[in-house]
Amino acid sequence: MAFFDALREKAVTTLNQVLDKNRNSGLTKHQQFCYSHHIPETETILSESAAEIGIKSDYSTDAYNDNLPFPQGRIYLTQSFLIFRDAFDRKNCSFSVHLSTIKKVERPPGSDYGFALMVSTYSKLHLTLYLVGIRSDSERFAQQLKIALKKNLVHVGKLQPFIQTCYSEYLLAKNKVSTEKVEHAPQGGLGLVFKFPGDPKESRDKTKMKLWFDLFRVDGRNLSLVRTPLFYKLVRVGLPNRLRGEIWELCCGSMYLRLDYQGEYNKILEDHKDQKSFAIEEIEKDLNRSLPEYAAYQSSQGIERLRRVLTAYSWKNPDVGYCQAMNIVVAAMLIYMSEEQAFWCLNVLCDRIVPGYYSKTMYGTLLDQKVFESLVQKTMPMLWEHITKNDIQLSVVSLPWFLSLYLSSMPLVFAFRILDVFFLQGPKTLFQVALAVLKLNGEALLNTEDDGTFISIIKQYFLTLHESAHPNSPNPKFRSITRFQELLVTAFREFSVIDEEMINNTRAKHRDTIYQNISSFVKRTELRNLPRTTNISQETLSLLYDRFYSVVESLSVTKGSGTSVMDYKVFVEFMSEICDWITDVNVDDERHFLRRLFNHWDTEKQGALTFTDLLVGLNSLVDPDLMTSMSNFFELYDTKGDGKIDREGILQISEDLLYITSPWKDGVLFDGITKANIENVIADEVYKKQVESGNTSPDQSEIQLPSDFQVDRDKLEQQQVERYLQAAATFIQRAFEYAQPEEEELLIKELAIDNSISHNAALNPNTPVYLNLPTFRMVVLADETYELLFGSTLREATHLERPLDTKFDPIRNLRDMFDGLLADGRKVATKVRLRMDSRAANGGGGAPPNSSNASIKSGAKREEEEEDQDDDDLGVISIDDNDKDLLLATEAQVVVKESTEKPRISRMESEKIIGKSDQNLIEFET
Amino acid sequence: MSYPTPATSVKLVLLGEAAVGKSSLVLRFVSNDFQENKEPTIGAAFLTQKCTIGERTIKYEIWDTAGQERFASLAPMYYRNAQAAIVVYDITKPASFIKARHWVKELHEQAAKDITIALVGNKYDLVQDDDEGQGEREGVRKVSVEEGQNLAAEEGLLFYETSAKTSYNVNDVFIGIGNKIPEAASLASSPEQNNNEGRIDLSTNASSNGNRNLCSC
Ligand SMILES: Nc1nc2c(ncn2[C@@H]2O[C@H](COP(=O)(O)OP(=O)(O)OP(=O)(O)O)[C@@H](O)[C@H]2O)c(=O)[nH]1
Ligand SMILES: [Mg+2]
Repeated sequence: MAFFDALREKAVTTLNQVLDKNRNSGLTKHQQFCYSHHIPETETILSESAAEIGIKSDYSTDAYNDNLPFPQGRIYLTQSFLIFRDAFDRKNCSFSVHLSTIKKVERPPGSDYGFALMVSTYSKLHLTLYLVGIRSDSERFAQQLKIALKKNLVHVGKLQPFIQTCYSEYLLAKNKVSTEKVEHAPQGGLGLVFKFPGDPKESRDKTKMKLWFDLFRVDGRNLSLVRTPLFYKLVRVGLPNRLRGEIWELCCGSMYLRLDYQGEYNKILEDHKDQKSFAIEEIEKDLNRSLPEYAAYQSSQGIERLRRVLTAYSWKNPDVGYCQAMNIVVAAMLIYMSEEQAFWCLNVLCDRIVPGYYSKTMYGTLLDQKVFESLVQKTMPMLWEHITKNDIQLSVVSLPWFLSLYLSSMPLVFAFRILDVFFLQGPKTLFQVALAVLKLNGEALLNTEDDGTFISIIKQYFLTLHESAHPNSPNPKFRSITRFQELLVTAFREFSVIDEEMINNTRAKHRDTIYQNISSFVKRTELRNLPRTTNISQETLSLLYDRFYSVVESLSVTKGSGTSVMDYKVFVEFMSEICDWITDVNVDDERHFLRRLFNHWDTEKQGALTFTDLLVGLNSLVDPDLMTSMSNFFELYDTKGDGKIDREGILQISEDLLYITSPWKDGVLFDGITKANIENVIADEVYKKQVESGNTSPDQSEIQLPSDFQVDRDKLEQQQVERYLQAAATFIQRAFEYAQPEEEELLIKELAIDNSISHNAALNPNTPVYLNLPTFRMVVLADETYELLFGSTLREATHLERPLDTKFDPIRNLRDMFDGLLADGRKVATKVRLRMDSRAANGGGGAPPNSSNASIKSGAKREEEEEDQDDDDLGVISIDDNDKDLLLATEAQVVVKESTEKPRISRMESEKIIGKSDQNLIEFET
Repeated sequence: MSYPTPATSVKLVLLGEAAVGKSSLVLRFVSNDFQENKEPTIGAAFLTQKCTIGERTIKYEIWDTAGQERFASLAPMYYRNAQAAIVVYDITKPASFIKARHWVKELHEQAAKDITIALVGNKYDLVQDDDEGQGEREGVRKVSVEEGQNLAAEEGLLFYETSAKTSYNVNDVFIGIGNKIPEAASLASSPEQNNNEGRIDLSTNASSNGNRNLCSC
């Protein structure tokens, strides 16, 4: 029961997510909430309230003095967090305090406010929440908080080990403003060993460190930090080396994942120890090619860390695996972060901050290039016009900025400064900087007309970022401003209009085009690499490809996941769309014919079909050669691969044939025999009229098709239904009649001579018997209806070339076909003409030919050959030379009887004899 | 300002699997340099180099692309309008040869009809015997010369084996392409300000005027 509940819940959530999705950002409300507070998506809001907040720290000397108004906003409670967001812009005061850090919650005595709660953390931070609203609601919030804290108790144990990994804790403990014991500096990044890039004096690292130290004392740290305007300011001026990694993971929220999933990083590595993968091969190629100038990456220590983080991520997220540029990004992270920190940070980066940048199709990258171009057009129309006029490929310059987060474009020290802001503010940072770069070089760029110069101007600019922006200014203060500072000011002031919303809107506008471009490229590539399929034309391939992906995508739960395999359910849907003979399929029926096809086509035995699998399967399904078509079918049941199908298998075949033929058996579709019969009936009628009117000369133009002629549809339908039932009955009877007993091979001679075959051991249900391919073919060929089924009926009811958008209704189609029959009078006309020819040849006395005895030559050439047919329509003799020889050689052994049923038997027997050498195509009638 | 030999602009794109040495070939050709650990190309890089072949001066506008499979969907952006292409593989990596075959097909289907393509098997130095001789080290080479030649013959490509490390055959590739580019196809060239002979690094060439040859084919 629990299983079904879980299933239903999942279905409901999925549905809600779809309904709830913001069209522009592609995120649900819930996701947006989690993203904007950087908390894991597993969190949900349990309770919320309007609130004012008071903040006080035991370590602060003056804290928030009483003159300052309390920040107002909304407080939220989730499973693991107490979240506050400032009513105005969140920049004033916000926090996501982890419940594990809360030591105490109490009601402050004698508060003038209606309802207050004081929350104290292990870091000696006291947050007073003044809840605004109805008292009962506030009580409920307090109650919920109590419950959540209790539930969270099991996770509190993770806090201590986690604290040991935070440099902030170490810093505070060392300076005795913490009650925690942190004796060893946490592992941290490679910079601790190999020196951090840049000159710490120049970046005033010590001062920055002191400022952060003070901030931690007043506003808390890591899991219980309150973000105030000072916090944002300190990030923007550049982070101190030793704290950089921790602040990055705090800003982007990867810290919470690292807390929750302690040890998972090592476990992934352990679980996949010594395993190989394509991603690993690609990673290996790039290990020596990642920030090679940095000392750590000339040593095995650095390379090893890089290898482990990239490898672990490729196992964690195989959909992304490894993408070039990730090596550079991770190499940069590892300078400031431990492996575990970098690993989780990479997770958040790929999943949340820049989704699709490193994915297999890189749609995120392509999309953001388009977005960037349109932002350039919007904000710098003159430059944009210049760029398009001169056909300059902007993305060659800008794509690496985005993909490697500027790390491969400008000197590392500057790139890290941008990363500081990037982790705090998100992807809009990348756009703001990129626009500022163009803007600041605008004049020079307007003077270039080719990519080469364009690129070199920007290259040059990045190399001189440390230089003065105003070298000629008389004002020394002005002169001291570097180009980099100017860049940041331009990016974050002038382009502050470029916010998340604008980016999301622009993305939404271009998303479809990008998907189309990518999919047409991917399609070309995939189609080119397919195995040869002789029965499927190039155009049909293309249609099948589109259908494959449209069905896979519309039915997969995780939409847009880029799945490229089809599971059974999707397969059933796919086949139902193109096969008229597929009727209601129970997907849980393990013995269903489609299940058998699916398993047989699933070459990797992975419970899913690739496009190639599907194609190879379909190619054999529509093989126009009768003999091949029968052996393909036989193979489906020859599960052991020994060329024998046992009793159980024979029964299954009969059952499946009944299923496959049901549209014809039920009179919903007409097969070739019935169609020929209809034509004959009409031809007879026309012929009669012609004779009556005295016009019997077989003149081309004279044959008029009656427009008002009625065919007895019910009768023809009934005939067909009976024929199919008869065929099914005959099949199973003959199959057992001719099946070989397992132990003794029946003597061929014996069989051939004794037509009664009453002593056949196979008829005894206790004797194990098997059907081999030649026997199977013989049994099929013995029946005109089934012969035609394999020769053409099934293939013609399988519409690989059906266009994607038409929903097909087989019933309607049948009516169309039936009614349209008269319109396609060519064949009827031919038949009428044949009758006239025959009459002329017989001196006008011959009886009209027997129209009910129609026989259809199966195979692709049926229609053309029909015109050359003998007018008696009795049968077709078509023997290819090879077969003729064989047939003649064995003729002596074949007993041919005169009766109408016997020829088929004799044909079966000759097939049986010849079949031993697995020869094809014998049609023989007397 | 004088107007010496007009230079013909040729847009050339490099394609091939990751780490086969595309960027290294370009670096060798443009700066006669080699780096042991070259960072992977992100997206694409653009460089120019002039090269004198007999009477003609050709200015190559080189688009060096990223080799990793997933960057392939960006490639059309760069090979559009290209008059020449170098498809590179690593003669010690059979998979890179399969990739090369794929790129040749892609170019024939999607790029300009009369594009000149050179197939280049790189890292020849790896199979060379240490002692300068003509012999080859056993077992290092994974793609035979014949395989390369056959593909080139089938598809009508120029073919070279090169080493960006030792510079073996590198210039020949570019000269070969230059010779094959029909003169007429590149008439739309304008006089060059810069009349330096031989190699010019892009960074020192910032003043050159644009003279992209926008061939309409
Ligand atoms: N021994 C040897 N190594 C080479 C040669 N050419 C390139 N390499 C090395 O192979 C690695 C990859 O070279 P790149 O030029 O970056 O390869 P690429 O094809 O541009 O790679 P992507 O940009 O990732 O597509 C580098 O470490 C080069 O030093 C060569 O001719 N011989
Ligand atoms: Mg490269």
